[in-house]
Amino acid sequence: MSIGLLLLIVVGLGVIGYFLGRRRALASVSGDPRRLHSLPSQYGQSVFLFTVVPALLLLVVWLMAQPQVIDRQVRGMVAADGSEGAALSLKMADVTRISEGLDALVARSAVTEEQLDSMRADFSDIRGRLAEVGVAVGADVEPDVFQAAKARRSLVGTSALMMSLAVLALAAAGFAFALNRIGPEFRARNVSEAVVMALLIGSSLVAILTTLGIVLSLISETLRFFQVYPAREFFLSGVWNPQFRGGSDLGIWPLIWGTLYVSFIALLVAVPIGLLAAIYLAEYADKRVRGVAKPMIEILAGIPTIVYGLFALITVGPLLRDYFAQPLGLGNSSSSVMTAGLVMGVMLIPFVSSLSDDIINAVPQAMRDGSYGLGATKSESIRQVILPAALPGVVGAVLLAASRAIGETMIVVMGAGAAAKLSLNPFEAMTTVTVKIVSQLTGDTEFASPETLVAFALGLTLFVFTLGLNVLALYIVRKYREQYE
Amino acid sequence: MTDATANNVPASSVHGGSLLSQNVRTRRRNAAERRFRLYGVIAIGLSVAALLLLVSSVLNNGVSAFFQTYAKVEVMLDPEVLDPKGNRDPAEMSKVTTIGYGNLMKDAFPAALQKAGISVEGITDKEIGDMLSKEAPAQLRNRVLADPDLLGQTIEYWALATGRIDGYLKGRVTMASAELDSNVSPAQLRLADQMREADMLETRFNWDFITFPDASELRPEAAGLGVAIIGSAYMMLIVLFLALPIGVAASIYLEEFAPQNRLTDIIEVNISNLAAVPSIVFGILGLAVFINYAGLPASAPIVGGLVLTLMTLPTIIISTRAALKAVPPSIRDAALGVGASKMQSVFHHVLPLALPGILTGTIIGLAQALGETAPLLLIGMVAFVRDYPSWPVDGFFEPASALPVQVYNFTTRGDPGFVERASGAIIVLLVFLLCMNLLAIWLRRKFERRW
Amino acid sequence: MTSVKFTVSALAVIAASATMASARENIQTAGSSTVLPYATIVAEAFGENFDFPTPVVESGGSGAGRKKLCEGVGENTIDIANSSSRISQSDIDLCASNGVTEIMEVRIGYDGIVFASDINGAEFAFTPADWFNALAKDVVVDGAVTANPNTSWSQVNANLPEQEIMAFIPGTKHGTREVFDDKVILAGCEESGAMAVFAEANGGDEEKAEEMCTALRTDGVSVDIDGDYTETLARIDANKNAIGVFGLSFYQNNTDKLKVATMSGVTPSTESIASGEYPVSRPLFFYVKNAHLGVIPGLQEYVEFFVSDDMAGPNGPLADYGLVSDPELAATQEMVASGTPMGPLQ
Repeated sequence: MSIGLLLLIVVGLGVIGYFLGRRRALASVSGDPRRLHSLPSQYGQSVFLFTVVPALLLLVVWLMAQPQVIDRQVRGMVAADGSEGAALSLKMADVTRISEGLDALVARSAVTEEQLDSMRADFSDIRGRLAEVGVAVGADVEPDVFQAAKARRSLVGTSALMMSLAVLALAAAGFAFALNRIGPEFRARNVSEAVVMALLIGSSLVAILTTLGIVLSLISETLRFFQVYPAREFFLSGVWNPQFRGGSDLGIWPLIWGTLYVSFIALLVAVPIGLLAAIYLAEYADKRVRGVAKPMIEILAGIPTIVYGLFALITVGPLLRDYFAQPLGLGNSSSSVMTAGLVMGVMLIPFVSSLSDDIINAVPQAMRDGSYGLGATKSESIRQVILPAALPGVVGAVLLAASRAIGETMIVVMGAGAAAKLSLNPFEAMTTVTVKIVSQLTGDTEFASPETLVAFALGLTLFVFTLGLNVLALYIVRKYREQYE
Repeated sequence: MTDATANNVPASSVHGGSLLSQNVRTRRRNAAERRFRLYGVIAIGLSVAALLLLVSSVLNNGVSAFFQTYAKVEVMLDPEVLDPKGNRDPAEMSKVTTIGYGNLMKDAFPAALQKAGISVEGITDKEIGDMLSKEAPAQLRNRVLADPDLLGQTIEYWALATGRIDGYLKGRVTMASAELDSNVSPAQLRLADQMREADMLETRFNWDFITFPDASELRPEAAGLGVAIIGSAYMMLIVLFLALPIGVAASIYLEEFAPQNRLTDIIEVNISNLAAVPSIVFGILGLAVFINYAGLPASAPIVGGLVLTLMTLPTIIISTRAALKAVPPSIRDAALGVGASKMQSVFHHVLPLALPGILTGTIIGLAQALGETAPLLLIGMVAFVRDYPSWPVDGFFEPASALPVQVYNFTTRGDPGFVERASGAIIVLLVFLLCMNLLAIWLRRKFERRW
Repeated sequence: MTSVKFTVSALAVIAASATMASARENIQTAGSSTVLPYATIVAEAFGENFDFPTPVVESGGSGAGRKKLCEGVGENTIDIANSSSRISQSDIDLCASNGVTEIMEVRIGYDGIVFASDINGAEFAFTPADWFNALAKDVVVDGAVTANPNTSWSQVNANLPEQEIMAFIPGTKHGTREVFDDKVILAGCEESGAMAVFAEANGGDEEKAEEMCTALRTDGVSVDIDGDYTETLARIDANKNAIGVFGLSFYQNNTDKLKVATMSGVTPSTESIASGEYPVSRPLFFYVKNAHLGVIPGLQEYVEFFVSDDMAGPNGPLADYGLVSDPELAATQEMVASGTPMGPLQ
């Protein structure tokens, strides 16, 4: 039985359970819902949940455990010749592929089960037959591998059958149990709400899982990097100069400096403009202006960063060079920290304005009215009443913008250049951590070389860096947050 | 002014004698008010100006991608060449490759020109043949294979012209640049002029740009966005169906139910941190977890969708929480007061009221996801894909491209014909965004309210 | 970890139940962005003329491509890795440890690297020594090692125009940079005699001397470009005095915007590179996983089609686009037809 069908049956049973449960609950109080502890539909939900949830959990657990259990049994068959370690895991991969290939062969009716039983690796051209169904095998199939594959296939078949039966049995049991419990005193609401709560908690755990996934996928490669390159150099050296032939200097400081410098300029542009725009939209603008201007600013957030990058490269860069950098004697590079910062600032405006706007809107009208009542002008109320009230939220919006600035890639690639440098001059080309992550990972250097692996170390550093920043920010926001009514 | 100050300060210094004329202080306050208001206008003006500047430069470069030049060729579909066995069996006929069809067209083209009375002196037959796109024989071949009865007929066929000829009609290529250009000669351009006068060369609206798949570097004129649009649409579907429910559920828990404890703290820090994680890191995650660990296929919308979901979640959570926070506690108290459970008060009262804010955040998140390039670079979305993916759900697992990646892809190509296509692709992307935004505005207008 | 596994497995379950384990039908290749244009040209023609689906060609760099090739055998791994440099022993070892024992190395031709400036600018005739003296961090002046004092090309070589030195060279992520370092800077270092002086200064340590040769100045005169040639072109457009490093094919598609410089008196062209007169070039490769031949439909046909005279020959579309075709193509065709795996690296 396929998993899809199994799922369908279980869910179908659950739906039937819902209606039966509802009916039974109403029947138990002879149609007077006031005498029930919970709403009738909540009784139905409880039956649905008791039917579906345990059965699905079993299904998932079974599917997760099955490969391990079967692997362990089959492993003995191929390990008989004394192979171990990498060789053994290669063989096991072959076993898995071949047994799945045999499934495909049978599914395509290329062979029958009987023919399969009599198939022997040393007689039939297994590799050729498997190739027909698109299953690649590295080398010719050894007899013990083939036997193991056949064994695995039958084990998988048995296990799948057992799983179907167990899941269906559990679903049926849950169904009967839940239906049985229904009565006027049964607290169905608590059951259904507990499950909804579990779903809510589960959803918020996705964030932790994501972080965990990121850290795990970064950390192993980072450790490999530090095995081939001294961590001291990486964290303390002020020179970034990767080489193809080895002997690279991979100090992170020029990159961090570039990142911070560009982000700083971007925020210098985005925060005042975004905040003032948000204030105007929320407090001054009439409905018509607001209806036009707000979505227009939001579009800025949706413009692909590569468009901004091109804009920086072709328009803003030469403009800044010809009218500012050269007359002021500050350099003659068209790609500079200033270019990237300005353009990135434009991109960040909506991140600041849109969220600040919502937050300012959320400040209770009573506070405005109170301020006006005391004789304050509109701008005075905004500066002294509304902004302080909205401050934690605004800080949140600015932090979101700062995060974007630090993590932005394409604009910096095209606007700021690729030169890693420690300099104060905003009209010079510099580079950022993100730029180097992309370029080292998609480059032509060998994957196992420190020049490529450094990307993971950079990623992890950036990750830890933003983590620290956020913990700090969160602390600040918490300390000053107030709840208004 | 309060009573206290009125008692202590001489009245004249506050009111300047008359209620009808403004005193210095009032004037100053009013000026400050006007200034403040002006700052707001300037801020809005700057943002809108930046947007207009960007959009106009994109439009300026990209509108021409929606038009394409075609040349009229009369081709005699010679059965001797195209169906050597003579049995009109498409399987047999497909043995004749596009090279065969190309030769047929190259022979027919100069002849057709002469028949139309256009002088072809001073230009070789090869040069004339090179004015047609390499895509044209492929299209002709498909047409013949679909309809073998055409064999033996002389058909009038509008073939794609090459990117350079197309560029000449659009003003991108000039006689002066053709002198220097190794891919086009002034003689070809002069011939193009003559053909245009004879109505054998014309520029039309180009639907193919939206529907065709990508093309190789030799055929900028045939490159389209079909596969990229489908890929992006699939990814957005995945993001919407995963990120919105998960994001809203997580926000509700954190904002309404979560106790103040270590776990909640960790989750909160995590979420705000994830919003700051560079998108490229999500690419690394996608590569390690979804492709290498879970074995999902590379270049497929499912992986892109999952990565973008994880990337969009924090944005949606943060703005949803802000929206929930903005719903006054009195609403909750009222619901609880009439006997609703906490769960009911949230789902029946708070959530609907927070919907406009949630929509705003979701739109910003989706817009961000739609335009995101960097993480897709690592999970194989920067790929040359010619075959359209099939319908969902199967299509989620088949190779596809994505719109922003296609833009990136076009900008890295050598032929200048791809530049306008990159801007054209951006226009399509912006149109998508505009549609999403309009929908959101409409929804928000319907629900927005102020407490 | 278990919870990650849980989520992932759950996703995989959904995935598995959605697609009933259908075998992959299209060829998948990945790797170098230099080989990408050629691979797409072949893939497109292959899709048109054969009954197989058009191969999917991924970009992403030679290193990542070879790593993906070496991840193992099976339909969830790629079939071909495009590479702008030769595979290294560490990659071969990685492949072997993952069961990819037989790899076929296919050289498709050569890629020329040219130096070009704005079309309206001055003419340049370089030698490798000029480049070394213009861009090296330390140069030899009157027999002594000094920090590079040159600011204009005419100071480097009196025959060059009086124009400030500004060079856009490929970033260190590009394989092109390796070629540039080897065949231009290092060659120029030896040619100008600086190598010998450096070696002497380091007490005869050749390796140190080579390192000194390839150390480029960091005062903004030489600018690394991590992007593609289009970015270099855009930067030259914004900075008319600059000289950029391009691939031959890119230059050939933009002859109306770029003026190419000669190197040691030779103008770069497919002919002069094929004959070996023009010094700055490199071979391009792709690597085929032999275990997939005959399994992934069309793979054998695609590989043969790629190296056929119709495609990679001197008159084929690849040569039209700027690939310098391999004089030993016939041997490659034979090797591909018989599926001979590559031997150990020399």
